[in-house]
Amino acid sequence: MSYVTIDQVTKGYDNQVVLNNISLTLKKGEFATLLGQSGCGKSTLLRSIAGLEDVDVGSILIDGIDITNLSPRQREVGMVFQSYALFPNMNVYDNIAYGLKMKKVKDINARVKKMIEMVDLIGKEASYPHQLSGGQQQRVALARALVMEPKVLLLDEPLSALDAKIRKNLQKELKRIQKELDITTIFVTHDQEEAMTMSDRIFVMNKGIVVQSGSPSEIYTTPVNTFVAKFIGNYNVCSIEVFHKLVRNSELKGKEVAIRPEVLQLVSTDEDTSDLQDNWRIEGFIKDVSMTGNVLRYEVETVESAFHVDYLHHRGKMFEQGAHVQIIVPKNECIIL
Amino acid sequence: MKSSMTFHKVIIGLLVIYLIIPLIGTLLFSIAGKWDHTILPENYTMKWYMELFQDERFYDAFKRTLFLIMMTVGLSVVIMLPTIFIISVYFSKWERLLQATAMLPYGIPPIVGAVGLIKLYSDGPIQIAGTPWILVGAYFITILPFMYQGIRNSLRTLNAVQLVDAAELLGATKFQAFRTVVFPNIISGILVSTLLSVALLFSEFAMANLLVGGRFETLQIYMADKLNSSGHLTSAIVITYYSMILLLTGTVLKLTFKKDKGPIMSNKKRILSIFKKQYRQKNTALEGEN
Ligand SMILES: Nc1ncnc2c1ncn2[C@@H]1O[C@H](COP(=O)(O)OP(=O)(O)OP(=O)(O)O)[C@@H](O)[C@H]1O
Ligand SMILES: [Mg+2]
Repeated sequence: MSYVTIDQVTKGYDNQVVLNNISLTLKKGEFATLLGQSGCGKSTLLRSIAGLEDVDVGSILIDGIDITNLSPRQREVGMVFQSYALFPNMNVYDNIAYGLKMKKVKDINARVKKMIEMVDLIGKEASYPHQLSGGQQQRVALARALVMEPKVLLLDEPLSALDAKIRKNLQKELKRIQKELDITTIFVTHDQEEAMTMSDRIFVMNKGIVVQSGSPSEIYTTPVNTFVAKFIGNYNVCSIEVFHKLVRNSELKGKEVAIRPEVLQLVSTDEDTSDLQDNWRIEGFIKDVSMTGNVLRYEVETVESAFHVDYLHHRGKMFEQGAHVQIIVPKNECIIL
Repeated sequence: MKSSMTFHKVIIGLLVIYLIIPLIGTLLFSIAGKWDHTILPENYTMKWYMELFQDERFYDAFKRTLFLIMMTVGLSVVIMLPTIFIISVYFSKWERLLQATAMLPYGIPPIVGAVGLIKLYSDGPIQIAGTPWILVGAYFITILPFMYQGIRNSLRTLNAVQLVDAAELLGATKFQAFRTVVFPNIISGILVSTLLSVALLFSEFAMANLLVGGRFETLQIYMADKLNSSGHLTSAIVITYYSMILLLTGTVLKLTFKKDKGPIMSNKKRILSIFKKQYRQKNTALEGEN
């Protein structure tokens, strides 16, 4: 039984289609991520769910209720904006209490206190937004949305303005709070790593459509097309003709072949590779070696195209630039697109 | 580092002297008895002030001017604030049109405007030529650029659209969002525009003279009239209404900032600095008239 349903939603500005017949469903308590390049319509979809934009066609349901034509305040949806949008004339306490005051609920104080504790802002109650750091402002924005106990929490790139370390911390914390409250969450990011670490489910978007959805590992290991393959995992993608030529074998059928850089292995040309049953071999030479922390990335030039090969960076043999090598390609890791 | 500080101080000092000397001159002249061939007056007297404060016409003129200004500025705030808010938040397509309209008054010289207005409103359905109402209308247009810029810039810097979005998602109606989130944050900006407008209107002469003249004697017209009889008296008038404006704005500032700590405090400096500009404007205006 799905908790959030987006049914064939289409939306355009002027004469440009931004959301093109989007359908997706979420289970209760799920942490879903909309992942895609800048301008692919992530924010627009989120704002449509919040009611800040009207959709042209289609409907949106939350908890079985059609909210397509409700105003934002009737939707029971919480949202955290990329730029926080805190109220500058109110201190932390009043910012968080704002929604409760509007709804005129009881025990405002207790609920606000509890939320301040949850986002770890004790002692900052009387500070104004401009007196807080970016990370703290983000927590206030989160608390302000969560205190309303919304049915769905929408997060529009909430961490993108923060530096790497605070970002990692807040990712963990966000995840902890989300699990603790068991709140259905839609998170927007264009950072695939962030999407992988945080999500139960990822929706990869491109040019206003959802091109693939699934768990992080599904998306990562079985991309459905070239766009996902390239966007998600730095896959090596080459056309089938080129691939046939490289491996001197035309067993595989399809249009393109995608191979993850970390399943490839390198051996020197004089080495005898016995296991030719399960692998293919491609000859080439090392064009470039680069290092990103714990990963060594080789760029291997072959007669037809270049391949990336990733190794964990540990002591042991390392190929020099210009060295002639064979790339060992495991047959069962080749994905046909 | 240190020498550049002194440099700054000297510049600011010179500026202050430049701004304040005409004012001191006017003050001295308004309390001078005999002042012909000495640097400072030979003797002082309060007789110009006595004369001024005993003149019924002065009080009447003052009241009329005050009425005009309050009417105009009040009307402007009440009409322009919602208009600009609604247009910039919900009809951003039309913003350019509003901007062009608001800038229009800069392009029309007062004389041309006044003649046109008199022609337009001396017959037809709205016959208000020669009444104070035509002046209220004209003044509304005169201060439009100030009000528009002030209000729009405040909304821009605040990122009002997103704050309203956030407030609405938290359960506020559009009106509640405006009242609790937008208005408190732009009030100081509006105040600046308002005070600028008040100052501008206090020294406006051309429109007042052409549109209503002696039929509705405002302070400016009264002053122009007195200028023919005595320069001392005119100086006394100038000093009097200077003090009035100072008192008025001082009170408004005090009231506005008393309860706010934190974020808006920094605006106080901004407002004060704008006041300095105002002085200069006024001085040049007065120099022109005297
Ligand atoms: N108010 C608007 N008027 C016209 N076009 C708009 C408007 N808002 C968004 N668009 C267009 O819609 C498209 C999608 O915008 P959207 O903000 O949803 O992208 P996004 O995926 O959130 O990108 P980013 O990662 O940069 O935030 C863009 O091409 C943008 O130009
Ligand atoms: Mg966006």
